[in-house]
Amino acid sequence: MSFNVIGKSVIRVDGLAKVTGKAVYPQDIYMDGMLYGKTLRSTVPHAYFTLDTSKAEKIEGVVRIFTAKDVPGHNAHGVLFKDHEVFCAQKVRRIGDPLAFVVATSEKIAQKAVEAIEVKYEELPAVFDPVEAMKDEIKVHDGTSNIIYHYKLRKGNIEEGFAKSHVVVENVYKTSMVDHAFLQPEAGIAYVEEDGTIVVCAATQYPHFDQLEIAEAMGVPAEKVKVINPAVGGAFGGREDITLQIHLAIAAVATGGPVKAVYSREESFVAHSKRHPEIIKIKTGADKEGKLLALEAEIIADTGAYASWAINVTRKSGIHVTGPYVIPNVKVDAYAVYTNNPFCGAMRGFGATQVPIATEQQMDMLAEKLGISPVEIRLKNAFTKGSETANGQILTESVPLITCIKKVADALEMA
Amino acid sequence: MKKRGKGIACIFYGTGYGNGFPDVSRAYAELQPDGKVAIYTGATEVGQGAKTALSQIPAEVLGLTVDDIIFINEDTSITPDAGTAAATRQTYNTGNAIKMAAEELKKELINIAVKELGLNSDAGLEMKDGKIYLKILPDKCITLAQIAAKQSEPLRTFATFTAQTVQIDPETGQGAPYWPYTFSACAVEVEVDTETGQVEIIKAAHAQDVGRAINPKMIEGQMEGGFAMAMGYVLYEDLGLENGRIWNNKLSTYIIPTAMDMPEIQNIIVEDPESTAPYGAKGIGEPVMIPVGPAILNAIYDAVGVRMTEIPVTPMKLLQAIREKEKQGA
Amino acid sequence: MKKISLTVNGKLYQVEVEEDMRLLDLLRDKLGFTGVKEGCSEGECGACSVIMDGKLVTSCLIMAFQAEGKEIITIEGLQKEDGTLHPIQQAFLEEGAVQCGFCTPAMVLAAKALLDKNPHPTDEEIKEGISGNLCRCTGYAKIVSSVKKAAEYLNKGGK
Ligand code: FES
Ligand code: FES
Repeated sequence: MSFNVIGKSVIRVDGLAKVTGKAVYPQDIYMDGMLYGKTLRSTVPHAYFTLDTSKAEKIEGVVRIFTAKDVPGHNAHGVLFKDHEVFCAQKVRRIGDPLAFVVATSEKIAQKAVEAIEVKYEELPAVFDPVEAMKDEIKVHDGTSNIIYHYKLRKGNIEEGFAKSHVVVENVYKTSMVDHAFLQPEAGIAYVEEDGTIVVCAATQYPHFDQLEIAEAMGVPAEKVKVINPAVGGAFGGREDITLQIHLAIAAVATGGPVKAVYSREESFVAHSKRHPEIIKIKTGADKEGKLLALEAEIIADTGAYASWAINVTRKSGIHVTGPYVIPNVKVDAYAVYTNNPFCGAMRGFGATQVPIATEQQMDMLAEKLGISPVEIRLKNAFTKGSETANGQILTESVPLITCIKKVADALEMA
Repeated sequence: MKKRGKGIACIFYGTGYGNGFPDVSRAYAELQPDGKVAIYTGATEVGQGAKTALSQIPAEVLGLTVDDIIFINEDTSITPDAGTAAATRQTYNTGNAIKMAAEELKKELINIAVKELGLNSDAGLEMKDGKIYLKILPDKCITLAQIAAKQSEPLRTFATFTAQTVQIDPETGQGAPYWPYTFSACAVEVEVDTETGQVEIIKAAHAQDVGRAINPKMIEGQMEGGFAMAMGYVLYEDLGLENGRIWNNKLSTYIIPTAMDMPEIQNIIVEDPESTAPYGAKGIGEPVMIPVGPAILNAIYDAVGVRMTEIPVTPMKLLQAIREKEKQGA
Repeated sequence: MKKISLTVNGKLYQVEVEEDMRLLDLLRDKLGFTGVKEGCSEGECGACSVIMDGKLVTSCLIMAFQAEGKEIITIEGLQKEDGTLHPIQQAFLEEGAVQCGFCTPAMVLAAKALLDKNPHPTDEEIKEGISGNLCRCTGYAKIVSSVKKAAEYLNKGGK
């Protein structure tokens, strides 16, 4: 097949605006008479709290301070479970939970007012270790177990598989919690159109879902909300969850808007999700020739205070912990667990980035024990067209894994 | 002492929401008065190049150039929902929806051309450079702008694409959780300074299965960006989390790679078209990152003989591991 | 409040600035040069870089009043009136050095500051020249190759 446009490195259609500085990111929007919003966030990881905004309200230039009672619809959002509160009502579950949104005539005044709000915490015992959290002695969300998901994979018979194995390696791996660190910190502006439509302009990965979440929190039909998604300064999964969108919508409706907010880098770090850190306990066995016979893994993913995409991320870890290899006997248990840590969600690779840190080192260890090369053991077990995954799925086409392995091995002269 | 080592890793990556969850993308294709075609869809450009790749697809279908495609994706009130710009799903999912909408538009345009040109059938009609013409008699020709002028309402088509996955069994995990899968491999050579624990990446080769490459340069850009992010993940990035508090909440303390840290990377694009994908193209935004980290860790082992089971492998941690090993050896 | 005058992209401005106003805020909020970006506010990311009297500086670390009498170039000053791009901008486009674009304006200026001084940089010198500018998207390779290409264009007497 020959193509005219497919396969050609045409110049990015959004490139010109970006190299000339004309691309508009949400912080680049300035409107007449706009007000500025700043968020007050919790400084302790687990506590009941009360707010006294009276001093802050008296500061000249403060227009209004919004808290949980000002959410017109549901005080909740979240991509899977609605376990985030727009503003915490009574309890905080992590450092950085939003408590109030100050709207003022300038950013400086808003900041001053945020600092003038008095917060009284009644601290609760907190849990930061996911293994501890699995005991459910300290509950992060009342009435629910901290274990929010358990992925199970059962294929073949692992006892038999390990018994038949010539070599077995077993290790525990730990991956870290990290940030997307996209270069553009969160920013947005909201206003109300003449017909009452609430317009929220913010950088997001999924404008139509934001629209629904804003509408639910505002208690209005979705058609009454319009999300404008201008240039986005990187995302990598970190713009999947709501950050400032609903705060801006509430403030714009109540004050008549427009209301703008721009997060500092520090606030960006606490406002959006993180990559799930995982504890990966893994045992892998192979026969004399290096053919994989069995794999057993237990994965514990710390999702922090909120679920975000934890279930899907953990499932993805569980599915991908086998590596791209045919293995007849597999047992995997993967758990997603609440703690009082920063919340974790989507980040590039989404659970499939963590597990190869373990799986792929296991492969090299097996190879070393067998006296074969890392390349060889991979070629022996790699998925090819027609292979069946541990989930029982047939890879019917487009499986050029061996080509990938051979090409990089050749390039670095690895045999 | 400086010691060198090589490491390899390979991965598979299931794209899309997966697990039977309806993974739906929608798009409109609309003929503009000047003969250009507008695509309306809710797919976000986050920097990955969605706007460009997803403009190349309808341009190919309609015999146009990317300049003739007006890509509109910024406003929920005029675009249909195309799902999230995540899960490496936009090229495949929304790419399919756009391709279908463009093909539908092409069909309608051809039908109109048959009528307007007074032909008996659409056999031998070609659509190229904003024109529809009869190949055996090129004077039988009508431009897309002329067709547009004859419409009382803009000609607009709509398509929906839903990816195929099957929910897994909750007890056994059996099912078809993702489709399509993308594959990649990475090999790196590192140099470890055994005095400081510093790891330098000397060179790297990175191969990514793409199904079919829509825009090779943009794919390379993703591969290089993914490489850098993975380097950060396994070597530097650390939130300094302590009792739920992020101590490294600034770019002066949360260290991400700079230009100085980057090795020379040989990018290898591997094509093996996927029949359910638009022109065979699969998504690559996430998988490009994944094999890099474990390849680096395997190379570190090859260099200094220590297995780093916890990331990030900061110089301090690595130095400790090296010392430990020396102690055991002594 | 203090009255200062400065030149931005060849044009003279006289403005009133507050004592605690940063050059970044002056450029963005007051003068509308929103191609200057803010990514960290502490001199680390380089997104706010501008060229001041021929030197690349991070405008988040400079107070507005310090710009008194200075000559500043922002990204908005590079494209010619007739729309012709500066060779560096052109090279960035051709090489695919742009992804999300948030780092791009400052990256282009970093390249300009480098090439103004060193018209034939090696790869290492380019990397060093842009090492104060973070990019989370591209892995820098295509940025380095565009700076190389831009150098060629410029050495051939512009493009
Ligand atoms: S905003 Fe000035 S260096 Fe980052
Ligand atoms: S292109 Fe996104 S930060 Fe450089």
